[in-house]
Amino acid sequence: MIEEKRILYEHLDVPDINTFDVFRQYDGYTRFEKAIAEYQPEDIAKMVMDSGLKGRGGAGFSTGLKWSFVPRDIKPCYLCCNADESEPGTFSNRYVLEKNPHLLIEGILICCYAMGIETTYVYIRGEFTLGKKMLDAAIKEAYEKGYLGKDVRGTGLNIDIYTHPGAGAYICGEETGLIESLEGKRGQPRNKPPFPAVEGVFGKPTVVQNVETLCNLPFIVGNGVEWYTQMGPTYADTRANPPTPDPNTGTKLYCISGDVNEPGVYELELGLTSTELIEVAGGLRGEEVKAVIPGGSSAPILTHYELDTRLDFTSLTLAKSMLGSGGIIVMNETRNIVDCLLNIMKFYAHESCGQCTPCRWGTPWVRDIVQRIADGNGRKSTITRPKFGVAENGRWGDTGETEEIYEDLDLLESVANNIANVDTMTWNTICVFGIAVSWPAVSYMRKFRPEFEAAIREGKLVTLSVAEATVPPEENYAYQQRFVPKEFADL
Amino acid sequence: MSDELIQIETPFAFNEENQRAFDALIGRYPIKEAAMLPTLHLAQKQAGYITPAVMKYVAEQLEVSVMKVKDVVTFYPMFFEEPVGEYVIRVCHTLPCALRDCKVVLDHLKEKLGTDVASETNLAKGTTADSKFTLMKVECLASCDVAPVIMVNDDLYKNLTPEKVDEILDNL
Ligand SMILES: Cc1cc2nc3c(=O)[nH]c(=O)nc-3n(C[C@H](O)[C@H](O)[C@H](O)COP(=O)(O)O)c2cc1C
Ligand code: SF4
Ligand code: FES
Repeated sequence: MIEEKRILYEHLDVPDINTFDVFRQYDGYTRFEKAIAEYQPEDIAKMVMDSGLKGRGGAGFSTGLKWSFVPRDIKPCYLCCNADESEPGTFSNRYVLEKNPHLLIEGILICCYAMGIETTYVYIRGEFTLGKKMLDAAIKEAYEKGYLGKDVRGTGLNIDIYTHPGAGAYICGEETGLIESLEGKRGQPRNKPPFPAVEGVFGKPTVVQNVETLCNLPFIVGNGVEWYTQMGPTYADTRANPPTPDPNTGTKLYCISGDVNEPGVYELELGLTSTELIEVAGGLRGEEVKAVIPGGSSAPILTHYELDTRLDFTSLTLAKSMLGSGGIIVMNETRNIVDCLLNIMKFYAHESCGQCTPCRWGTPWVRDIVQRIADGNGRKSTITRPKFGVAENGRWGDTGETEEIYEDLDLLESVANNIANVDTMTWNTICVFGIAVSWPAVSYMRKFRPEFEAAIREGKLVTLSVAEATVPPEENYAYQQRFVPKEFADL
Repeated sequence: MSDELIQIETPFAFNEENQRAFDALIGRYPIKEAAMLPTLHLAQKQAGYITPAVMKYVAEQLEVSVMKVKDVVTFYPMFFEEPVGEYVIRVCHTLPCALRDCKVVLDHLKEKLGTDVASETNLAKGTTADSKFTLMKVECLASCDVAPVIMVNDDLYKNLTPEKVDEILDNL
């Protein structure tokens, strides 16, 4: 049985940990004090780089590397803490804000010290009224105790933190959408480059960082890089010669929801499998796992025979999915994948910001196709076509068989791939919301094609058994390319 | 839409408390316009919804055109351009909540309040005749572990069943 490894969440349930005095009893702010007493800002940045910390907000980009892109000579530089948490299936930031806001403040302080930042905006989604209230109260206390404001603890540093409420738009979680929104405009993402690290909010260099990422900083500074890198796997990226280490270090606040007995946030070392995680979360509610969404609704789905994929950044990328925000949604044998896709596509159709034509028109179009299939009006051709594949002579070509044409499934894939192509990983849109639409659309359809075909054939939603609904591994586009990465130590 | 075309029925101005809150806000940003969202939240809290007069007032305070304010208001689902009930009930209906039967909760609310679900362009559709409640669907509220959830104004209610919904409504 895998044990939880609580680091960020260790003191989450201590009564009154949201107050300065109690937080202080549990080493609160000592790591920040250690940082300013023992290290230069560059040392901290180097520690973060060496720790291998990857962003927990969705993209999984190396935090140290991101910091290294920030020009040091342009001031002011801003920190935007991304507390927009709107990816369906994700809910770990909420608990930090509501229960342990001082930890976030300490993380912000360390980041500000390392990067020479004086102003931080915490962009909190509008619905987090309690979270904002708790954080505001904690910030007020930190000002009173001299950890924020002018000349922090007599060090000459000036650090301010302000909270900024969002207003219900998912796209404001995207870093440039967040910046636009923070500037008082519609939250419509910007073209990149320039990246926020160079030109972000108010035209100045800006570090955008998720709540969970920032909460890791006190522990990296407090316990050291060596301690930190022992947690989670480090793989070898063999594409480079000599192979470069690919760290998936630290713990992750896995949010698990859907068909498990004890949904919730579980802090575990990176790198366990879905099967293990389901076990940690009290086991499956139901008989059989039909599918697992590993990284929030944007992530491509995993089938029952892909559950041994390790839930870390590298392994999931190799399995053509992603860890994303770490929101794991489990579905049991009673679920209909067409219905699930419909729900998710309604979400995306509602949340597209409307700037790019492929996304603005394509997303509702995909939704409408899935709706049509779910309503029993899915389109199928009365004629058949030759089936292409590996022919008898071992070459790609006409197999001599015929196949039925499910027009709506072809259309679904074509429309989705024209928003963002999941095979070539190119997108025709400004932001990667496009990928977040086509990834689920294409992966659900390809991996659970029999269920989609059945809905069209029968003219109504039919829930097939797990074995019948899933395409076999040899026809699974993602399974084909998958390989389990070797531990770096194995090399 | 130019400023002159807007019909101003009841003029709007911040009350003393909100004025103080606004003054504190404005100092946080290098440009005034950046205070747009928090200012609109304050104004909506006071006026109930964003009327043309509110937009005009906010535009004056932030020294931007009314059009710009309108642009922002129409983008964000949390700003209402029509009156809403005293209690706004937001029912989450995204996948994790759907897997936990949020539909039962929604149907129960519909029946109990005797109203349909509001759409973003038609809030009246989801508002009860006595203007006490507005019922709307929202996307994931980041509480999927305690699904299904609803929000009543600023408060979140978890692990709902029809019975719990009754209890919540009775205690309002
Ligand atoms: C459509 C979309 C929505 C996103 N939503 C969030 C979000 O709610 N919270 C978050 O932290 N990051 C979100 N991100 C990721 C951010 O763009 C950004 O990568 C992240 O905040 C960077 O912080 P990190 O490096 O600490 O993860 C989203 C990205 C996209 C494309
Ligand atoms: S991809 Fe969609 S959400 Fe992103 S900028 Fe374009 S229209 Fe907006
Ligand atoms: S889906 Fe309802 S709270 Fe996340």
